[in-house]
Order: sequence, then structure tokens, then C-alpha cells
Amino acid sequence: MNLIREIWQSIVRRDPLSTDKGKSELVFFNVWLHVHPAKVKKENLRFKHTFYLGFITFFLFVILLTTGIALMCYYRPFPPQAYQDMKDLQFVVFMGPFLRAMHRWAAHGMVICVFLHMCRVFYTGSYKKPRQFNWVIGVFLLLLTLSLSFTGYLLPWDQLAYWAITVGTNIGSYAPIVGGQLRELLLGGHSVGEAALLRFYVLHVAVLPTLIILLTIVHFWRVRKDGGLSRPVWKLKPNKTETLVTIGAPLEIAPLKTGPASKDKTYGLMEVVTGKPIFETVTPEEEEDAVFSYPYAFFREAIALMVTVTGIMAISLFFHAPLEELANPAKTPNPAKAPWYFLGLQELVSHSALLGGVVAPALMVIALLAIPYFDRNPSRRPSDRKWALWLFSIFVVANLVLIVVGTFFRGPGWALIPPWVHVVAGAE
Amino acid sequence: MNRRAFLNWGTAGLVALCAGVGVSLGAVLRFLVPSVFYEPPQSLKIGNPADFPFGAPTFLADEKIFVFRDRDKGFAVASAVCTHLGCTVGYLQSDQRFHCPCHGSVFGANGAVQHGPAPRALNWFEVTLTRDGQLRVDKDKVVPSNYRLMV
Repeated sequence: MNLIREIWQSIVRRDPLSTDKGKSELVFFNVWLHVHPAKVKKENLRFKHTFYLGFITFFLFVILLTTGIALMCYYRPFPPQAYQDMKDLQFVVFMGPFLRAMHRWAAHGMVICVFLHMCRVFYTGSYKKPRQFNWVIGVFLLLLTLSLSFTGYLLPWDQLAYWAITVGTNIGSYAPIVGGQLRELLLGGHSVGEAALLRFYVLHVAVLPTLIILLTIVHFWRVRKDGGLSRPVWKLKPNKTETLVTIGAPLEIAPLKTGPASKDKTYGLMEVVTGKPIFETVTPEEEEDAVFSYPYAFFREAIALMVTVTGIMAISLFFHAPLEELANPAKTPNPAKAPWYFLGLQELVSHSALLGGVVAPALMVIALLAIPYFDRNPSRRPSDRKWALWLFSIFVVANLVLIVVGTFFRGPGWALIPPWVHVVAGAE
Repeated sequence: MNRRAFLNWGTAGLVALCAGVGVSLGAVLRFLVPSVFYEPPQSLKIGNPADFPFGAPTFLADEKIFVFRDRDKGFAVASAVCTHLGCTVGYLQSDQRFHCPCHGSVFGANGAVQHGPAPRALNWFEVTLTRDGQLRVDKDKVVPSNYRLMV
């Protein structure tokens, strides 16, 4: 018994969780948990503040990693075999359809949640100082999510995959000067073929996951370094003249007294740093609103994790990932559509390839990146940000309308046909 | 080492470092460009002239080309790759036009854009007769739409 206790104590060195010290040590003695603060503000845990979208996105990514690695065991990335392996996954491999469906729906879910998370951060004004740079990282994470989804789309090597990627990469080739070469570099050839499948595979399973993991680490780290979650909008004081103090500091800021350094003391960084910290400071009454991360934050995160996983599992039980017939370069399905999140782009491209396919998306990305630096208004209160909210809402609605039109209102020959009208594909 | 030597060596070192990084990046980029494309040949024999009927064009699916044969004018070969986003166009004999299924581009009988977002007319490829009497299409050689081969 003593040996077991000794082993346990060699792993877990914290005090019992019944004590405040133990609750704190659980967080900062643990490499995985220490990205959390030991204490969090109660208001920040409220579901209606963040909808836990960041966590849900992260959990979806974890699902994608695990199911993706599982799927790799049964997948060969060259043309005829790739499709055969899909058929195997569909009919032969134990739980193959389920894993494939989980991977597919989690991928779609991640695109949606990243976007919703971005909307939440914008509407609460959480990209403002000091969080500008984390917003920029977030935009890159959005782009990486889209790239991962796009590269994964080709791998089944069916008609859907083949033509979505043909259309998608051709949109890219409209970029001035480098467009054509960029497409060739991506495809490793002049059309979507063997080389393209292998390159998309390498990007999908090695390059892009590495990049997104690295940036996610920075993203999480910056959330902490920028002072944790932004305060809920409803907790903001009516005017900005509140006195801000550092946690634990006396209300009356006395001039810093310096004396000769004692020899039997060690000095950490906190002794060196003076002046106002870059992160948000809290008033004493807000400090009282804080609760320990264990169990309050961790419990909520666990719930979010379980809801995410069971949600994706439930969807995957009832809806299988689509698989069409083998890719056929000679026969374009009518209509041929890009993945749904690029259908807004395809809709724009159907009007003008250069303006819709290159200029508009480039401007969109630049605008997103520039938001925190362009928006000089320091207030996060919705009543002070009418213009910003309106502009962003127009951006969101425009994107949604374009995607809906591209997905549901475009029939054979890209003709404008409402989804409730049934059309027999044209005679060819 | 005096200051002048330090600065000289330092500058030389920095320049060498930048050059090294630049060359390495160039090499990585070049590495990603395949030296050999294992792709179908651009120039290919498509068969004997007699294999192709008059009137409606013959669609060669693997090559993505339409072979037109006219009693008076001879042979012409049109690309089936839409100039907009690379979908394969279909030819409707009833209205003698090419229709793209992706974004609704329509091309006239001579390949010119009549409708839709396509930025350019369809390509017409050079078609020649080989020594053994077969038709050869060269997809690297784009010719005007009035190009014809009389056999």
C-alpha cells in the first residue's frame, strides 16, 4: 500500500484538492492545465459570454486528429487505390463509415465554429487592445482551417472531390502574375492528378496540422498573456473613469520604495517589473468575483467536450459522409460545385473570375487582419460601436447569402433555380 | 580584432548568411517543381481520318477534345476545357454551341464566348497528318478558330 502511495505521490505532488492551495497547484503543477489561470472570473464562465466556441473548435480539432490518424491506417494516396480504400472504409473496415463520417462532420463543424467564434470575438469587441495580435493569429487559424478542409476534400478521389478541387484550384490561378504557377506548385502538375493527390495528402496530414497546432499554442498562450478572457460586455462600467489597480496592490499607489537587496532573498521578475501591466487589471470587487478553475472552469470544459463528442457521434450515426463514383476527368457533374464554404466564392467567381475569385477574397482577408488596428475606438460597449457592428454584420450576412445561393439556388449550368423546383439535368 | 575588421567580417558574414538562406529557399521552391510530369502527352495521335464521322463532333473523353469533321472544310479540334475554371464543356448539336456545366458559360460554334463568365474563347488545337496517315493533335499549339486540315 505504501508503495502505491509513493508512486502516486511521485506523480501528483500537489496538496489535497480540498484546500485552496491544492486547487491552485492542480493547475500550475500540471503542464496541460497550466495554460489556465488558477482562478477565473465567474462572469467569464457564463455560457452566454463566449458560447464556449473556442473550446468547441479545439475539441473538434482533437476529434479530427484522432479520427484522421485512424483513417490514415486504411488510406493510400494515389488515384485508383485512394478510391478503393474509400470503398473499403465504407463497406469492409470495422466502424469505417462511422469514423469517416465523424471526420467529415467534425471538419464541417470546425469551419462553422471557427467562424462563429470569430463573430463572437468581434461582437464583444474582444479584439481590441491588448488583444489585437491574437485576433490576427485567429484569422490565420481560420485560413488554416479552410486549407485543411480544402486539402482533405480531394482525398476520397470521387467525382465530388475531383471537380471541387479542379474548380477550387482554378479560382486560385486567377491571381495575378503568380496564380498559374502557384496552382502548378500546389498540384505538382497541370491538372488534378496523381501528383496533386499526393501533395494534398502531404499538406493535409503533415504540413497544415503542424502549422495549425503551432499557431493554436500561440493563440492559447496569448489569451493568457493578454489578461485572460475579455470581460463580458454587460460587466463593463458605464464610463471609463474607473480606477484600475493591479490585483493585490493597495488602492493608494504609494511610490515604490527601493532599498538595498537582502542577501537571503531571491528576486523574481515581479520585483523587476514596475509600472502598469500590459494586461487588463481588475477592481477589488471583481477580484472577489473570481472562483477557482478547479472545479468550476474544468467542469464546464468537460461538459463542452462531452457535448461536442457526443454531438458529432450522434450526427455520424445517422448521416454518412458522401461518396460519389470514381473521379472521372472526362465527365463534369452538372452543376460542379466547390466545397460549401467556398460556394460564396464560386458564386462571386461565376460573375467575374478576377474580381470575385481574387480581388474580393484578398480584400476580405486583408480587412479581417486589419480590423484591430483600423478600429481605433477603445470602447467595447455595443452602443459606442454602431458603425463597426453594422459593417461586420453586413460582411457576415453577405457571406451567408452568397453561400446559401451557391449551395441551394444554383442548379445545372449554374442557372438560378430555387431548391423547391425539381430539374432533370440537361440533355448532353 | 579591431572594430573595422569586426564590422567587415560581420557584414560579410551577414551577406553570406542571407545569400545562403536565399539560395536554400530557392532550392526548396525548385524542389517542389517536378522535373518530370508524369502526365498524358500533349501531342498525341487520335486515329485515322476515316474513323471520324461528318457532322456532329466526336468527343474524346480522355483527351478532353472535340474533333470536328466537315465535308468541305476538313478537320478541326477544339478543347473541351472551359476557359473559366477548367470544367469539361459539352457540345449541343441542336443549337451548335458549347455549354459549361459549372458556371453556365456558353461558347458559339467557333468557340467564342457568347454568355457567362468565361474570360476567353475555347482553344483550338493544331491537327496534322502523320506519315502513317493518322491524325495528330498538339495541345501545346493553339491555332485560330478558322484553322482546318483538309485530308
